Amino acid sequence: MKFFSNITREARFLFKQKYLVGILTAVFALSLFSVWSGLSEMQTQSSTIERLKEKDRVDRENVLAKQSGYGSAAYYAFHLTYSEPSNLAFAAIGQRDVFPWKHRIRMLAIEGQIYETDADNPELSFLGRFDFAFLVSVLLPLFVILLLHDLRSSEREAGRYDLLITTAVKQKYLWLTRAFVLSASLALVLLVPFVIGAVISNASFVGTSLIVLVVFAHIVFWTLLIVWYTSNKMALKQNSTQVASALLSVWLMVSVLIPATTDVAIDKMVTSPNGGDILLVQREAVNDAWDLPDSVTWDAFLATHPQWKNYTDMGLTFEWKWYYAFQQVGDQKASELSEKYRQATLEKDTLASRLALLSPPMLTQRLMSSLAETDTQAAMQYEQNIRAYHNSLRHFYYPLMFTRAEFSLDKMSELPDFSQFSKK
Amino acid sequence: MQKEIIVASSLCVRFNNQTVLDDVSFKVHEGEVFALLGGNGAGKSTTLKTFLGTVLPVSGNASILDMSVTDEIDSIRRKVAYLPESVTLYGHLSGIENIEYFLSLAQITCSTKAIEEALKRVALQENAWHRAMSNYSKGMRQKVAIALALLRNAPVLFLDEPTSGLDPNAIDEFNQLIATLAAEGTTVFMVTHDVYGACQIAHRIGLLDNGKIVGMFERGESSHIDTESVHSAFSARNKR
Repeated sequence: MKFFSNITREARFLFKQKYLVGILTAVFALSLFSVWSGLSEMQTQSSTIERLKEKDRVDRENVLAKQSGYGSAAYYAFHLTYSEPSNLAFAAIGQRDVFPWKHRIRMLAIEGQIYETDADNPELSFLGRFDFAFLVSVLLPLFVILLLHDLRSSEREAGRYDLLITTAVKQKYLWLTRAFVLSASLALVLLVPFVIGAVISNASFVGTSLIVLVVFAHIVFWTLLIVWYTSNKMALKQNSTQVASALLSVWLMVSVLIPATTDVAIDKMVTSPNGGDILLVQREAVNDAWDLPDSVTWDAFLATHPQWKNYTDMGLTFEWKWYYAFQQVGDQKASELSEKYRQATLEKDTLASRLALLSPPMLTQRLMSSLAETDTQAAMQYEQNIRAYHNSLRHFYYPLMFTRAEFSLDKMSELPDFSQFSKK
Repeated sequence: MQKEIIVASSLCVRFNNQTVLDDVSFKVHEGEVFALLGGNGAGKSTTLKTFLGTVLPVSGNASILDMSVTDEIDSIRRKVAYLPESVTLYGHLSGIENIEYFLSLAQITCSTKAIEEALKRVALQENAWHRAMSNYSKGMRQKVAIALALLRNAPVLFLDEPTSGLDPNAIDEFNQLIATLAAEGTTVFMVTHDVYGACQIAHRIGLLDNGKIVGMFERGESSHIDTESVHSAFSARNKR
């Protein structure tokens, strides 16, 4: 009971201070804006996907209606692939700003098609978007510092310290209760807009609760750090400005220096080909095929597709099956580089997870992106979904092309649909 | 034999290898007003802070109501009220709200009527009770702090330069109040450099110089301590 009466007393006392109410209102407004901006962005992405799905279907139907063979149908027909935002993506847009979330692909070599698209807005990706995860991981510590740094020093500077500690039955509880009330209020104004956003977005209870838990953990970390620092002997001799400077230095170190240093260190530690290299290798392989004897293409193709060894006859100088075979060979030649790229990206991600233990803001951002399925793993999963879907297109077209089946629009209605490969 | 409430036994305090209190010993009895008099840097505030538990002695012992400040400070703080030299309460709260807040910190429940009675007793004008304290004068802030001390009903009262900055009327009112409290059994320990004020109010005066008790003066049969003799001793020390 004493605990609750202490909380009530400090809450009544603190909320009579206009500047505290002002700070909390500002945090509430920022949280509201970040959630609204995340919801708008995800709404835009979802409606873009829905709009493109319809346009994609209409466009493909128009293209296919003009075709007379499966080879040209595969060549001219585009297929929309997409990564639908999760219901929590509004809170942590994460890698959706860096990796593409939609591609229109054809039956041509796939690796180049994956890597030829860049992020929609590289400048924005560089700066980082103002989403709820950014607010929680980067700005939240500043608000905790702002509210708690002068917990004791302001009382000393005002000449109330001795009176307070000689009046309070347990002085330790006084500071802890004040810190608790301020931190809990901060958590409340941050989380109310998020929870409303989660309800609007129809996010799962478990996912929402886990993000709430991450936010709490981050607030608790900074609260305990500040309470510990302000109660040590050195800080007891410092004024509010000195205490704030020391705490801001810690913030600068864990929010800026450590992430920037680890980023550089990871890039040095893990060598990775870039998307452009993969694109180049695949395109060169495809372009070279035009000038090489057919047998070079067929040998390489049959090494991975022996079931078509009796169907490689070339009745004409140009055969679609040969054309798609060298597209396949182009992918095979780029596959090693592509696999290295994927492995390097995942290795960088694993290293970043470990190094994030040195930086609570970085860890918070990564956990939130992971829960919102907007992390590197999710981006890599989307790439794999594209490959799996493209592979299913090959499985659909190869028998039709190699057996020289008669073109039928009815058969085209059996084209694989990406929705079966997309993971929400 | 009156009960010993505040006892300093061979108190030694050092800051950065500099001795601030050196073998300080005295006793204050129940219902007694004891003034520790001294110039700047004599060690008065350090002595007070040692009893409040914010400064720890390197040797010797300070005890209140038979409880050592080094071992039982939390229990001591329930029995002690402290009036700082410059009373700065929360400016955004009214006098009554400040008292309610500090009483709540001390886990004391008091009715608004009792608070109003205490404010009347310290003669704080009624139209100020509900006004934000940022508009109070020093004397008014002092009165609120005294009302708080009264409401805490503490058997021991520590005062730090209590009349500094008060007008003569307020000093008279304050002295009368302290005398009444002492008569009711409250033990009062005050530190001051105001020789005249101390002589008017205190039953005994300890003269502190350079961290040592160098003189002790008593009222005896008189209504107050002889100002002349205390002043002579005080001046002699300060002129050295």
